[in-house]
Amino acid sequence: MTEELDLLKKAWKKDAHVYEQVNENQIYKMIHKRSSSIVKWILMISIAELILWAGISLLTIDDNYLKTLEMYHIDTLFKVLSVINYVIVFFFIYMFYKNFKTISTTETVKKLMSSIIKTRKTVQYYIWYNLAMFALIFIIVVISQITYDPSINSVLENAKDSNPQAFWIVIGLTYFVLFAVTFGLFWLFYRLIYGFLMRRLYKNYEELKKMDF
Amino acid sequence: MSNSLEQSFVTQLKENQNIVHKICRLYTSGEDAHNDLFQEITIQLWKAFPKFRGDSKFSTWAYRVGLNTAITLYRKSTRTVATTDMEGKRQFIAPDDYNFEEEEQIKLLYKAVHQLNDIEKALVFMYLEDKDYEEIAETLGISEVNARVKMNRIKGKLKKIVNP
Repeated sequence: MTEELDLLKKAWKKDAHVYEQVNENQIYKMIHKRSSSIVKWILMISIAELILWAGISLLTIDDNYLKTLEMYHIDTLFKVLSVINYVIVFFFIYMFYKNFKTISTTETVKKLMSSIIKTRKTVQYYIWYNLAMFALIFIIVVISQITYDPSINSVLENAKDSNPQAFWIVIGLTYFVLFAVTFGLFWLFYRLIYGFLMRRLYKNYEELKKMDF
Repeated sequence: MSNSLEQSFVTQLKENQNIVHKICRLYTSGEDAHNDLFQEITIQLWKAFPKFRGDSKFSTWAYRVGLNTAITLYRKSTRTVATTDMEGKRQFIAPDDYNFEEEEQIKLLYKAVHQLNDIEKALVFMYLEDKDYEEIAETLGISEVNARVKMNRIKGKLKKIVNP
């Protein structure tokens, strides 16, 4: 008995003559249409993310904000932090650009997949970096607020008379929940967006890796 | 200049369009999905065309870009339903040596191939196109030995689906 695949091969070769042919005009039209490949989606979403996070740190700086920092005695610390932040953000943008450039359909299937994953990961690390920075700044501000802010201090003085322990637990819990909810929402958002875009790619990449042990 | 590049691309793709049709045949079911993938592969080929130096054949180059698009870049359109219309864009022409029993088995085989995963389909595609294991391995980015091992497993898998 002929092997199944060779039987199919015979039919496959016959089939080659029966595909409805497209003409030159149709091809012209096709090459002027827009691609809807996942690389294009990843590029658009990634650029939006890079701009959004850079924008957030730029837009939040105003006179009021600077005065508050001075009052909290953390203005120098924040200047140093923002310089470090800019260096890191530019590093991320450079890495993203570099990785994106390596995505090429003329590479092997495996190489193409790994460069897409690498590019995607760069943006993912960028997001986690921003969230970590956000958390760090938040903690610094809260500590300085408690130490230096006159209105917070008067509230604290009043609370001490009643039940200081309960007061601190409530404050701690509130901040913790706030953090957990923010991070949780981000995590969920990214799982949804990239899960949708990347699920098939990861599955195929795993399949290839499994095959090529 | 871009016009002559365009002209050269369009002519070559027109001559080699069956490669793209055949990839669409394996990776999609139904006419809409076939056209959708054909469109995307054409765009990706055109985008990569300036890098095509002509040191390999257009067809060899098109195999790679086409498979990469089908496996990795293409987002399956939601209207694609895996089980509908296995015939795709193929027009049915009964050849002189038409053999009903064989035709039934071939239909079954196509159905079986459609059930394979994206990577397995790529191996089957290149096998059907008479590519040797060196080229199959080179296209996927895996070793030749592993390509051979995987191909044998796929053959076994297909045998099981067709003769349960």
